[in-house]
Amino acid sequence: MVNLRNSTESYGIIAQAFHWLVALLVLAQLGIGLYAANLPVSLARLRWLSHHKSLGLAILALVLLRLGWRALNRPPGLPGSMPRWERRAALATHRLFYLLLILAPFAGWLYASAAGLSVNWFGLFQVPDLVSKDRQLAELFKALHIGLVALLASLVALHVGAALRHALLLRDSVMRRMLPWKPRSND
Amino acid sequence: MPRLLLVLLVSAALPAAADECYSVDPAGGSVSFELRQAGSPFRGAFHRFGGELCIAQSRVARIDVWLEPASVETALPEIDAALKAKEFFDVASHPRIAFASESVQVRDDRQLARGTLDIKGKRRNAEVPFRLRESGGKPLVSGSFTLDRLDYGIGTGEWSDTRWLGAEVKIDFSAALSRR
Ligand code: HEM
Repeated sequence: MVNLRNSTESYGIIAQAFHWLVALLVLAQLGIGLYAANLPVSLARLRWLSHHKSLGLAILALVLLRLGWRALNRPPGLPGSMPRWERRAALATHRLFYLLLILAPFAGWLYASAAGLSVNWFGLFQVPDLVSKDRQLAELFKALHIGLVALLASLVALHVGAALRHALLLRDSVMRRMLPWKPRSND
Repeated sequence: MPRLLLVLLVSAALPAAADECYSVDPAGGSVSFELRQAGSPFRGAFHRFGGELCIAQSRVARIDVWLEPASVETALPEIDAALKAKEFFDVASHPRIAFASESVQVRDDRQLARGTLDIKGKRRNAEVPFRLRESGGKPLVSGSFTLDRLDYGIGTGEWSDTRWLGAEVKIDFSAALSRR
């Protein structure tokens, strides 16, 4: 039986869809960003960076929607079998995730604006600039974008590691709650 | 002297004057460009330019202006470098862009210079509308026109893909003139 909303035991299908969609897009976005930023000035760089900027803003919009859904629909509590510090660490990680998922693309948007590389969203409409063109500011926002993205990537590694620990070593309910299908439980 | 220039320009009824030449003063002036990159406007400017404008028979008789594409500046150093390279302005072989008028027509408060624009060794006919007015006690020339960068080979090879880099480039210019 599929639940749209979260229950006390599991995330609902909407929260799960947000989670996996954002996960997929962020991984793709990290790859595209890293690839494009290391290309020399070329049409390929122009094309990939343009996709990167549009996709990054799509992620920002999705994350804001996701936070809205989360505010209306609290996540299930973590199992009591987890030590208190682990539960705290998990909640802190999740908060930091949301913060970085907003700040990192925002810094990218600031960088693109200051660099004079405005975004036309997937060729559909012109996205407003956040600041006017400024070489020094562009350098600053570029460093900020890269720093926040590096932090985000480290958090992804920590998060995936912790999820796998729950799934494979602890074999508790934590991983299953975010899966749309339910593997047999060992609890 | 600037007032005299204005009088000369505005009233064609005055008696003919001898040739008077003015030089383009790059200080405080600007030559900027705008084209589309991935569907968004992208802008830059050139800092070194100059030339002269001569008046005869109370009309603008001749315009000869130049610009050094090596002085291009966008906010991105790597793009500035790419613009100076072979595929764009090829500044090593073609250090100067030049425009020389063949005729100048007066149209109300505007004027139209027809002449030859020479970029990267490619000479094409160009029409450049402009205005002359007084600003801060000096005559000021300003105007804007568009050109097709592909006519001049600006952005060859993969860069001729106009879906990602628009063909149409809008140029805006303004500069004060000083009597020579
Ligand atoms: C979650 C969203 C985003 C992620 C994960 C992300 C990730 C990245 C990564 C990994 C890089 C390469 C950094 C490097 O090694 O130099 C990068 C570069 C870049 N990002 Fe993003 N980005 C995101 C959103 C955005 C947005 C929304 C924009 C603009 C609207 C943007 C604009 C850029 C630009 C222009 C670069 C190239 C930097 C350069 O000039 O080298 N990014 N991004």
